Amino acid sequence: MERTLLCEIVTPEQVVYRSEARMVVAPTIDGEIGIMPLHAPLVSALKPGEIRVIHSDDKVEWFAISGGYVQVHEDKVIILADQAAASSQIDVERARQALAEARARMDELPPDEEGEIDACVADLNWCEAQLSVAGKKGS
Amino acid sequence: MANLRDIKNRIGSVESTRQITRTMEMVATAKIKKAQERIEAARPYALSMMEVLGNVARYAKGAEHPLLESHEKRQRIVVIAVTSDRGLAGAFNSNILRLAENIIHDETAAGVQVDVIAVGKKAAGYFRYRGIDPIASYRDLSDKPTFTDAKSIASHVIGAYSDEEVDAVYVAFNRFKNVAEQKPEVHQLLPIERRVVDEAAEGSDVRAEYTFEPSPEAVLELLLPTYVETLVFRALMESAASEHGARRTAMKAATDNASEMITTLTRSYNRARQAAITNEIAEIVGGAAALED
Repeated sequence: MERTLLCEIVTPEQVVYRSEARMVVAPTIDGEIGIMPLHAPLVSALKPGEIRVIHSDDKVEWFAISGGYVQVHEDKVIILADQAAASSQIDVERARQALAEARARMDELPPDEEGEIDACVADLNWCEAQLSVAGKKGS
Repeated sequence: MANLRDIKNRIGSVESTRQITRTMEMVATAKIKKAQERIEAARPYALSMMEVLGNVARYAKGAEHPLLESHEKRQRIVVIAVTSDRGLAGAFNSNILRLAENIIHDETAAGVQVDVIAVGKKAAGYFRYRGIDPIASYRDLSDKPTFTDAKSIASHVIGAYSDEEVDAVYVAFNRFKNVAEQKPEVHQLLPIERRVVDEAAEGSDVRAEYTFEPSPEAVLELLLPTYVETLVFRALMESAASEHGARRTAMKAATDNASEMITTLTRSYNRARQAAITNEIAEIVGGAAALED
């Protein structure tokens, strides 16, 4: 049987996803990486974007994440994200609305409110990540 | 007799109060369970994060980070007081407020300025009443705190600490010991104690040779604020579970007291009724005796 790895996507509020997979693709700060079984131990920071989980039967699942970390150790991939959502569970209408609201908030923020701006940028990125993943369905 | 009707009315009103407290008790019981489940659901993230932190710390030994450095001076500290939005929960809120008040008293005596972040309407109201203006107030999150809430509270103090505007940050909250017991506690949030990082590093698997991207130091720098956020999140969730626990205990006591009161009132009602009947009989007998003569 083909060797697989265990993929876990965890947010502070719950375990979002847990399954065996053939390959996991994650958006690190330096670019996208694909993780396959027997990967060397790795810890990497992730930026907002999409996670692809590719199963042994070539089925693909998409997830949007708001940034976080990935740890790979002994065929176990743990993705720690502030927020994560499967492509099928994303509410496009709500994400669009949140995006518009975040943009409006951004425009009104004074430039010296660094903390607020960071939070706003994080919101924007999260909304965009959701929207880019939302249309994608497992084939 | 007016007295009889009075007692009857009292019984009626105590009964409806008991109805309310009993319902609140049952609602609280259901909510404790949900709040506990949320604490459980948050555990995997916290565990994995400590594991990552341990691995990173092992490679970035002695790395400097503003959140790990304690400041030489101690001029200004922040206390985050986690209370509830609603009352009727016994000593739940007053315990936290007393703790915060003690810190303010002691630190002020030592010449330290203490700022307060109020979580929950009860804390905001209390401090405003005491003439202390909280630097930030959060409400409507005590029932079901989200990580976003925790992040926004944490970012407030992380920024101030890194800029050396604040020299220490504490959080006061009710820890959920079990369904019937809450323990008010104060935890140090910032600076992050080195001990925490060192212990995490010792617990990590030394056989694995990790690669870090972009670098151990860069990951550590991102990870430490996240660590603080999870601590705040944990405090919020513990407090939410404790709130329901405290309310259940308080409402159970209120229900029991109401039942006891109804028993006493019913007894005096019966006694008054008996007295009235005896009185009437005495009058009739007396009247009949007067006629016979």
